[in-house]
Amino acid sequence: MSDDPYKVLGVAKTATQDEIKTAYRKLAKTLHPDLNPDDPGKQAEFQAVSAAYNLLGDAEKRRRFDAGEIDASGQEQTERQYYHHYAAQDGGERYDGGFGGQSFGAGQDEDFSDLFADLFGRRQPGGPRAGEEFKARGHDLRYQFEIGFLDAAVGAKRTVTMPDGKTIEITIPSGVRDGQTLRLRGQGAPGHGGGPAGDALITIAVAADPVFTRDGDNIELELPVTFDEAVLGAKVDVPTISGSVSMTIPPGTSSGQRLRLKGKGIQRGETVGDQFVRLKIVLPTEITEDMRALAERWRDSTDFDPRAELRRKT
Amino acid sequence: MSLDERTVVARIEHLTLSELRIWVQEGWVRPAQGERGPVFDDLDVARLRLLCDLHKDMALPADVIPTVLALIDQLHRTRRDLHRLTEALDEQPAEVRRAVIASVRRKTKGEGY
Repeated sequence: MSDDPYKVLGVAKTATQDEIKTAYRKLAKTLHPDLNPDDPGKQAEFQAVSAAYNLLGDAEKRRRFDAGEIDASGQEQTERQYYHHYAAQDGGERYDGGFGGQSFGAGQDEDFSDLFADLFGRRQPGGPRAGEEFKARGHDLRYQFEIGFLDAAVGAKRTVTMPDGKTIEITIPSGVRDGQTLRLRGQGAPGHGGGPAGDALITIAVAADPVFTRDGDNIELELPVTFDEAVLGAKVDVPTISGSVSMTIPPGTSSGQRLRLKGKGIQRGETVGDQFVRLKIVLPTEITEDMRALAERWRDSTDFDPRAELRRKT
Repeated sequence: MSLDERTVVARIEHLTLSELRIWVQEGWVRPAQGERGPVFDDLDVARLRLLCDLHKDMALPADVIPTVLALIDQLHRTRRDLHRLTEALDEQPAEVRRAVIASVRRKTKGEGY
């Protein structure tokens, strides 16, 4: 690799800017890393060529280089991840329509030539042979939505405007999880030559909720209760994902105890989760003389030790 | 990573918003659709950079871009398939692997590349 950018591009020192551009384009067309993903030699050459062009392709930079004000170093571009790097990763088949395991093993391949026909010919199982019309599956259309916690829990509809201006409505079923991708078969782009349509792939991001959390199809909620409600029991209103319900707190309930509201979780198909309510006894910020007296009286009348078990275990 | 149109245009030198929209319209790049417009990920952004190189830097005319993209996409599909096939072969017993390698060597002998 030469340090002289003129030699790298193969042009004379007297070349016009147009000649430099032409020389660069000619080299780039054969050396571009995405056209030569398996040839590290050409990739290195391309780096050198684009660095040289970066310098000489700009008339002002070239003038300063010729005048000796700047040198060829420092023109290296920052390391770039080329397309083939991403195309080789999981998910890269989005643009190449690579087999998704369907053609592979869909038939009873006993013969390698059948497998290769599937791999390289994209033969439809039992479908077109030589001379028959070419069929191709339409590509997948992707959607990405951010939805609220409650919309994810109970389901929602979203409208999107496609690049061609058409709007479509997408139904998000209840119970989707954060990061989940839904596949709607046949809802993608139409196929060619009678081939099947692609799928719609919908990636969902679910926002957190200030009060509810989720564990699978179960909903969890922390419910603050007063000291007297915990001691005496009470009937209180509890929010659920489908509205407020009345719940009975049995007398003598401790902080941290979980009560179950059966069937108040997320409904998904035939199954439905529960809501778990975790109680938290909350005292007022200001303790009155009454409460103090009550607590002192109670302390003096009991030998209850809530830490007895803790001590035994440690 | 998911970026909207404006962020993509800011991130890719020389790419304008109207070019980006035309390329999406042409189907050269197929971003996900969100409620507030298209959403681009790493693969889309790298593909846009490649398109800038091909269409703007190397001045390939718009009518050959679909052909070039189709060839590049086939190249990647074949590389991916070959990679999976190689992985499948790597899982085979040693004698199977040796037999396959020997057979491939015999068949490629004398080929121009």
